[in-house]
Amino acid sequence: MNRLPRRMAFRLLKTLPLAAALPVLIAADTPTGGEPGVRAFVLTNIFFAAPEEEGTCTPLADGGVESFYNSLPADEQAAFADPAKRRQLEHLMKERLGFKATRMPPGAENDPDAIRQAAAAAGFPAGKGRTAFANKRISYDSCTDPLDFMQLAKGYRHYDGKIAEGANLDGKHKRNDFRSAAGEPGIDNQVWRALGCTKAFRDAGDRKAARQVLMSARAPTLIELRGVDDLRNDPDVTVNVMAGSDALARDARGGPLLWSSFATDPDPALRATTKGRIVDGVLTTDPVDMRLNYKEQIIDAPRDLRGARISMTLKPDGSVDGRIYGYYTLSSLYASIEQMSQDGASASGISCPGVYKAIHDLADGYPDRKTGRKTAISSALGFVGVPAFAVPGERIAVTGKGAGL
Amino acid sequence: MKPRTILLAGAAALTAASMALAMTREGRADDAGTVTPDGSVRRLTEAQYRRVVADVFGQDIRVVGRFEPDKRVDGLVAVGSSMVSVTASGFDQYEGIARGIAEQVVDKDHRATLVGCEPAAGDTEGQACVSRFFAKVGPRLYRRAMAPAEIARFTAATLEAGRTLGDFHAGLATGLTAMLSSPEFLFRFERPAANGKLGGYARASRISFLLWNAPPDATLMEAAAAGTLDTPQGLATQVDRLMASPRFEDGMRAFFNDFLLLDDLDTLAKDSVLFPQFNANVAGLLKEQTLRTVVDLLVTNKGDYRDLFTTRRIAMHRALGPIYTVPVAGRDWTMHEFPEGDPRTGLLTHAGMLALHSHPGRTSPTLRGKAIQEALLCRKIPAPPANVSFAVVQDVNNPTLKTTRARLKAHLDDEECATCHRVTDPIGLALEQFDGVGQHRVTERGEPIDASGEFGGAAFTDAVALGKLFHDNADVSSCVVRTAWRYATGREPRAGDEPPIARLQAAFPKVGYRMTDLMRAIALSITLDPVPRAPASRQQVAIRTGVPPS
Repeated sequence: MNRLPRRMAFRLLKTLPLAAALPVLIAADTPTGGEPGVRAFVLTNIFFAAPEEEGTCTPLADGGVESFYNSLPADEQAAFADPAKRRQLEHLMKERLGFKATRMPPGAENDPDAIRQAAAAAGFPAGKGRTAFANKRISYDSCTDPLDFMQLAKGYRHYDGKIAEGANLDGKHKRNDFRSAAGEPGIDNQVWRALGCTKAFRDAGDRKAARQVLMSARAPTLIELRGVDDLRNDPDVTVNVMAGSDALARDARGGPLLWSSFATDPDPALRATTKGRIVDGVLTTDPVDMRLNYKEQIIDAPRDLRGARISMTLKPDGSVDGRIYGYYTLSSLYASIEQMSQDGASASGISCPGVYKAIHDLADGYPDRKTGRKTAISSALGFVGVPAFAVPGERIAVTGKGAGL
Repeated sequence: MKPRTILLAGAAALTAASMALAMTREGRADDAGTVTPDGSVRRLTEAQYRRVVADVFGQDIRVVGRFEPDKRVDGLVAVGSSMVSVTASGFDQYEGIARGIAEQVVDKDHRATLVGCEPAAGDTEGQACVSRFFAKVGPRLYRRAMAPAEIARFTAATLEAGRTLGDFHAGLATGLTAMLSSPEFLFRFERPAANGKLGGYARASRISFLLWNAPPDATLMEAAAAGTLDTPQGLATQVDRLMASPRFEDGMRAFFNDFLLLDDLDTLAKDSVLFPQFNANVAGLLKEQTLRTVVDLLVTNKGDYRDLFTTRRIAMHRALGPIYTVPVAGRDWTMHEFPEGDPRTGLLTHAGMLALHSHPGRTSPTLRGKAIQEALLCRKIPAPPANVSFAVVQDVNNPTLKTTRARLKAHLDDEECATCHRVTDPIGLALEQFDGVGQHRVTERGEPIDASGEFGGAAFTDAVALGKLFHDNADVSSCVVRTAWRYATGREPRAGDEPPIARLQAAFPKVGYRMTDLMRAIALSITLDPVPRAPASRQQVAIRTGVPPS
């Protein structure tokens, strides 16, 4: 791949009339540093991409607390009808259903025996409970053990709209597929069918809202393009998807600090490489399996995506806006749900059993060789990012998804 | 409030303040031992004050309080330090700082190591202990020998304070507060000896504060006491020893900090909407960046001063990566090298320099040009007339005059303004490809930025080319010699000073423009040369004599 030496680029820039230079300016944003032909972006938010469609999800799916409330006799419902009594209602649910929680003993995160002992000491049913809350707790509740509390899935509902973000991952046009907003048929995004009527996911997936928040701050994902000759059109670029070891820094306005350097996590599981091409400022890549760090607030559960392909718009202001289309493994997807534990789910209005059942019912990819059960679900993750530098980092301890007892 | 000398303030204060004055009016052991109007009196800068305390009592003694602001005169705080006194409120602050230090020195955590004794059988008041303490720390704080009678007076006053307060250590703290509040500590007195040249201790302080920005160490004090510094060879030995020390870096940092006005970065603020990448932390790092770059080139690598304007090597910190749009792998300071052809080379393109001489929301070729002309070329630029209109220059949304160059050009239609702008602006306009916080840009409001101009009769195309012209300009290298001399002496040259300065300037090229050689030559020159006789200011006389100005 031919690369334009930087000094040549600068000379060229100086000699070009503005009209001719503008595309170069837009494309390159004139960094004075960095490896020639290499551009990187740090993703400030990754979310389930919500379609812009009116008139769907009325009413929204019930969360676990709402399902529990609906299961109460009329007199008890009347006693807890006041929204101000929600905390007491959650407490009642916890008592009635036998939820348990205990703190993770110091240093026990990777010691199953110590976790088991702590759970037993806290009165967990034998063999039940999982680590949760960014691995700071051990919990037994409707999120860690959803199959024990399927009554809380009663008010759950699927998204029944016709339009969704996504791509035709399997190349087929199936009855359950969506259409894109532009009318393209065959869109595979069953995860939105599973989650799309839950308010928390709908709110987080709104494109405008997604740009306003820094959600992937603790260990953000980096997308690095190598061999770039022209950020507007390049038929052959190498795309690395990596995990950053450094937290996102904010600028004085509270937004992400542009052009920060991020050390990359050397864990090979957190690095995926594929080929891509840029056409009119839009990068598309070949499919690749990837693991994305997912460390946000109380969640520490990597996202495992199979056959994932990126579509990313390189915007004139240097930022990026894109989608990752692929099959989200059920185990890693639900790990992020169970990590929030009952407290997080109640606060977010999520029914963990409802989510668990929905994603397993709607899973549509990567069947298990022995059982034939689908192990992954088609998805469309949205992301936004800003220009950054990826620099080699030292190996750091990697905390994995929640461990069962 | 009209500034008053510390003597006036001291008269109104009890214990430590009045004790400080009583202790310092007479009974000195150094040099001629008499008050003289010759020589200079320089107030310790905050950095020097902190250094003295750290050297004498250790790094863990906290120095807490607000110092009297330094005064910059003709570009140098070092020169201003010869022209400042201490206001009444300032004296209160100094006394408060001194008390805080003294209380730590005598507290239970430190007294064993820093005092080392206490009242004992046969010396229930602790006279021997107090005397020993002041004999130990007094000369180091005053940077001169102390006569037995001087120590005896401090001892007596301290014991009296202890009796009054009913606590030996409280009395000792009062005595130490007095010493730390006294003019002999707060000011550097450079008294000539009988032969008209600097006395031994004054020489020791001069070279020590010049080369280390710190008080003389024990070896230097011994050399002063032994008269070794009176001979060229003995003086050179000590100068070379000081320059071989890692602390020489501190001295060079202090000089360039003053020379390049870098302390102003400590309080620099920018419009956070326009420059969200900039904050106080970044400003502090930009100051550190320039100082580290200077030390790397001129001290560590004993480089050519002129290369400061062309080097592509710069100290870099990860937090500065976004300003320079460069990747920074290390988490600590590293040396970064911009590639050949990069728009950044040399000091003129340091983001700290560019940000410092800009407005909060935009660049200013005039401010940048003025600062460079004054600091780096030793040229005086007059202040603008009071009635000048900056309307055109400040109209950043002007629909036709989109670039700063275009707006300045329109401003030059006023011939009165043009006189100065023709001097300042060409240099400043060369730096227009760097915005108000020093980030690189090639356009302004969609218009390409023209960074060309002329300097010293030669045309340049951009900041890189201007840096090369600075490298080769004799005025640039002459200026740093003159500034270093002024920094070392703390005053403006007088008639008799010009020949030695000219000799230093002539010698600079012969030593490859190495700053280390220049500082050595200055250290020897200013220490051995006779002290010029000149009338002292009324305030300086007051400090020396204890008689307030009428």
